Amino acid sequence: MDISNLFKDLDLSAPVRQIKILNASDEELMAVSDQLAIGLSIEEMVRVRDYFESEKREPNDIELEALGQAWSEHCCYKSSKYFMKKAFLGIDTDYIMIKNEDAGVVEFDEDHAYVVGLESHNHPSAIGPYGGSATGVGGIIRDVLCMGAQPIAVIDPLFFGPLDTPINAVPDGINHPKFIFDGVIAGIRDYGNRIGIPTVAGMVNFHPGYTGNPLVNVGCVGIGKKEDMIHSRVGGKGEIYILAGGRTGRDGIHGVTFASADLSADSEEKDRGSVQLGDPITKEPLIHSCLEMNQKKLLGGMKDLGGGGLSCVSGEMALDGGFGAIIDLEKLPLKEEGLAPWEIWVSESQERMMVSVKPENVKDVLHIFNKWDVEAIVVGRVVDGKRVTVNWNGEMILDLDLDFFTAGPEYCRIYESRKINREIEEEPFPKPDRSGFESSLLRLLASPNICSKEHVFRMYDHEVRARTIIKPAVGQPFTPGPSDAAVIKPLEHSNKGVAITADVNPYFCELDPFRGALSALEESLRNLVATGAKPHSITDCLNFGNPEKPDRLGDFEQACEAIGEFARSFQVPVVSGNVSLYNESDVGKVPPTPTIMMVGLIDDVNDATTSDLKKEGNMIYMLGKTFNEMGGTAYYREAGTECSCVPDVDLKISSKTMDAVLDLNKQQLLRSVHDLSEGGLGVALSEMCIGGHIGAEVNINEIGMDAGSALRDDIKLFSESNSRYIIEVQLQDALKVEDELSRFGVPYYKIGTVGGGNFKVTNGENILLDIPIDILDHTWRNGLGDLMEGSE
Amino acid sequence: MNIDEVKVCILRMEGTNCEQETFDAFSRLGASPEFVHLKQLEGRDTIVGEKRNLEDYQILMFPGGFSAGDYIRAGAIFAARLKSSIKDDIIKFIEDGKAIGGFCNGFQIMVELGILPAFDCTLSEHPQAVLHANDSGKFECRPTVLRHESSGKCIWTSQLEKGDLRYIPSAHAEGKFMLPHESQEKEDELYHRLFDEGRIVFRYSDPNGDVDASYPYNPNGSRFNIAGITNEMGTVFGMMPHPERVFFRNTQPDWYRRKIGPEEGDGRIVFRSVLDHITKKF
Repeated sequence: MDISNLFKDLDLSAPVRQIKILNASDEELMAVSDQLAIGLSIEEMVRVRDYFESEKREPNDIELEALGQAWSEHCCYKSSKYFMKKAFLGIDTDYIMIKNEDAGVVEFDEDHAYVVGLESHNHPSAIGPYGGSATGVGGIIRDVLCMGAQPIAVIDPLFFGPLDTPINAVPDGINHPKFIFDGVIAGIRDYGNRIGIPTVAGMVNFHPGYTGNPLVNVGCVGIGKKEDMIHSRVGGKGEIYILAGGRTGRDGIHGVTFASADLSADSEEKDRGSVQLGDPITKEPLIHSCLEMNQKKLLGGMKDLGGGGLSCVSGEMALDGGFGAIIDLEKLPLKEEGLAPWEIWVSESQERMMVSVKPENVKDVLHIFNKWDVEAIVVGRVVDGKRVTVNWNGEMILDLDLDFFTAGPEYCRIYESRKINREIEEEPFPKPDRSGFESSLLRLLASPNICSKEHVFRMYDHEVRARTIIKPAVGQPFTPGPSDAAVIKPLEHSNKGVAITADVNPYFCELDPFRGALSALEESLRNLVATGAKPHSITDCLNFGNPEKPDRLGDFEQACEAIGEFARSFQVPVVSGNVSLYNESDVGKVPPTPTIMMVGLIDDVNDATTSDLKKEGNMIYMLGKTFNEMGGTAYYREAGTECSCVPDVDLKISSKTMDAVLDLNKQQLLRSVHDLSEGGLGVALSEMCIGGHIGAEVNINEIGMDAGSALRDDIKLFSESNSRYIIEVQLQDALKVEDELSRFGVPYYKIGTVGGGNFKVTNGENILLDIPIDILDHTWRNGLGDLMEGSE
Repeated sequence: MNIDEVKVCILRMEGTNCEQETFDAFSRLGASPEFVHLKQLEGRDTIVGEKRNLEDYQILMFPGGFSAGDYIRAGAIFAARLKSSIKDDIIKFIEDGKAIGGFCNGFQIMVELGILPAFDCTLSEHPQAVLHANDSGKFECRPTVLRHESSGKCIWTSQLEKGDLRYIPSAHAEGKFMLPHESQEKEDELYHRLFDEGRIVFRYSDPNGDVDASYPYNPNGSRFNIAGITNEMGTVFGMMPHPERVFFRNTQPDWYRRKIGPEEGDGRIVFRSVLDHITKKF
């Protein structure tokens, strides 16, 4: 419909339009929302109209744009907050220092805190994989930095469509998974490497559900003195706003509204301007200068410009401090001429940081920025009264009540939880013979979700800062296996370490979002425990489909409930997180993907243990029970067998087993530990043999004997039941270890010994597997490379 | 001089990012390192007390990283800025027998600056070598084994024996050391000079000391597996791998496979050697 009569150019020195909504019909209101592309619903537009009615005036375009950003799903979590509050936001422990800000601040030791954040950059990465992932890294690093912490590690869980997807199976307007994969990794590589923060962990997962909508989640951990932790809010009235870093341009306009809608065939054309551009060489000195002025106590508050740009930051910082703000918008240095005020106000151009400074410190702050050649400019000041005002050459063009502006709507939309069928078929397909076992294992080792990710992580500098104690690869330096978690020693004068891991299995989540999310949490826990670290905090990135569809929201609700159950049971809090909804395209929704990043602490990094087998003659034990719950497992997927009974989690067993492994590790009784996850016992032991470049011989007969009915050998070998670990123990420690395990009440099975050049498995009667390590190594190590070449 | 009197200038600009660990390495051994921004040596945008003079230091370090983003060619921008502002100070620094070291991007900067390999001069007008894009075409972050080739000439490795093997990791996209190829004869002659003058300090090797080993032992395709070289005086030294990353054992790639042993990592000896030399000489 034609609504041009509602727009009126104002007689000001800048191009600002007034939009007449006070007398507009509902249809006209929606047309305004559509035309400005601000994504507000009719209820929200009516709320806006009521507000301006009470203000007795018509709004300007910049005001509606500001509200569109502030009230977007991305900025105010309007569809998700209700469920997160209900499930886990209230779970606290006394060691959380700051939450609900840009990143969580958690006690590390008496004098130090670690800071943790995890974000999605999904839609930008679908359109512009290189720029999208690079700015994802940049954004999360700024979130950690603006709490006053030195970033020390980047973690990146990534989700793509299969690399061998036929070209004609990729819908119009959507990039091929291989193009996205290459671009995303190159973006993380070039940005992370250039700013000198190691990329130490993450995951790469392939699932057809990501073909239309890849997920790029990026996490960061930082460290700092407790006394240097700073809030994302102004310190007091009269403080001066200084904007520093990159210039403001047209890139990234409407980024948050773009993130709050489904992707479509014309997204690539239409939304390209929503993707920001990163510049690591502006960022790197920005990190140095912000940390320097913070340590010199020159700042009242600091916040990075992310979603919603200057608009969100200047309002939120002021309101959270209990004040208002006046901004002189014409002062912003621009990348290009000709931006309208509203574009400047909501632009999400990268590498920008806002600091709030007492007048007497302005000179010192500007000098530090100048020393690092970082452009910085005074853009406004903090005032009494909870309003934000924007001037252009002294003419007021925006004036909003902050409570109204920043208090976005909150919905409890209709949701539908699905029914899960837990019935299993006892004989879904014939039992394999020996060659069947061998080919199954090799296929699993070569499969994209299990094979070595060396192709990816060798391109990331995972050692810069020289504090990476456990790296992504462990074992023999030139033929390593996978590590379960990264371990960093953050401080010069303390051996205490942080262990970091990220996990989720979308194949479980798509069948059963509750148990899938619980499995993601338990696997993250196992990864930390296997290295010797005790889980300490959870950060989540909840990637789901369109919340306006009840089944998607039902999945979301279930995942939230799982997180709540786990956090309560272990008393490990969720300290920060991010929600990304509308991950849908013309080919459907992504599988529910509640990415979990978990941080653990280890008292002494020199006690960390790795997964590679160490020495001939050592004993191998398996801890935990194995069940016939094969839904979503790699083995069933390879076999093409459907089953919706995914692995469950018994939180009591999980906790006991954790305590036992940590205790044994503390006593230095474990030579290696590996958790069992995708591909089960067969894959886990293969990885341990590969890392140590030494064989193993095991007998799996005893496994599962206590489960009621005997399990098939292939189930024993490839089940992905949770709460299980393999440990390697020296002969002289075996009795002590067995005693301890009994004392903790942990089920264990002595399954074999380390040695020889083959990985050999029997069931007591027959040989099931007998494969040379070199073949396992070659198959696993080249899986991704072969796939990359095959799809050229 | 006493070790705490040894002043180390850790030079930085936007994009240098291994400066903290380089600083820590000197500091842990008792020397007095200081972060110095290039602008402080240039005297640009400084306020009272911030200007620094190169002559006040005994060691100049170019840390690793991506100075100015490495957007033109690794190290080229940093080198150009140094040449235009403090070239004479650097020449004097070298001719006074003081030490200059660079790892990774630092090595690239030194080659671009002309202080390595510096055939027949202290600082060459044009680069005499190149650290070219890796043969793999990729950034490579991986363990590397280095065989020490020098017999005491290089002051940065004077405490290593010839033939010693050290695990010192690499992380770079442009590390393939090559000398110019005007003709086969001239090129061979230059390599011969480096070998004959004992100026090849480290070569990539396999764990058994074979310096003909190829990828991944040689991560970038360097000619003759060259990983680090020194100037004619043995005082100016650059290498692609990162000794500052293995100051302690527990950052070695497989430290946990043998949990007993000294806490010293394989890279520390580089810092010990140069500090030993400087304290004796000055």
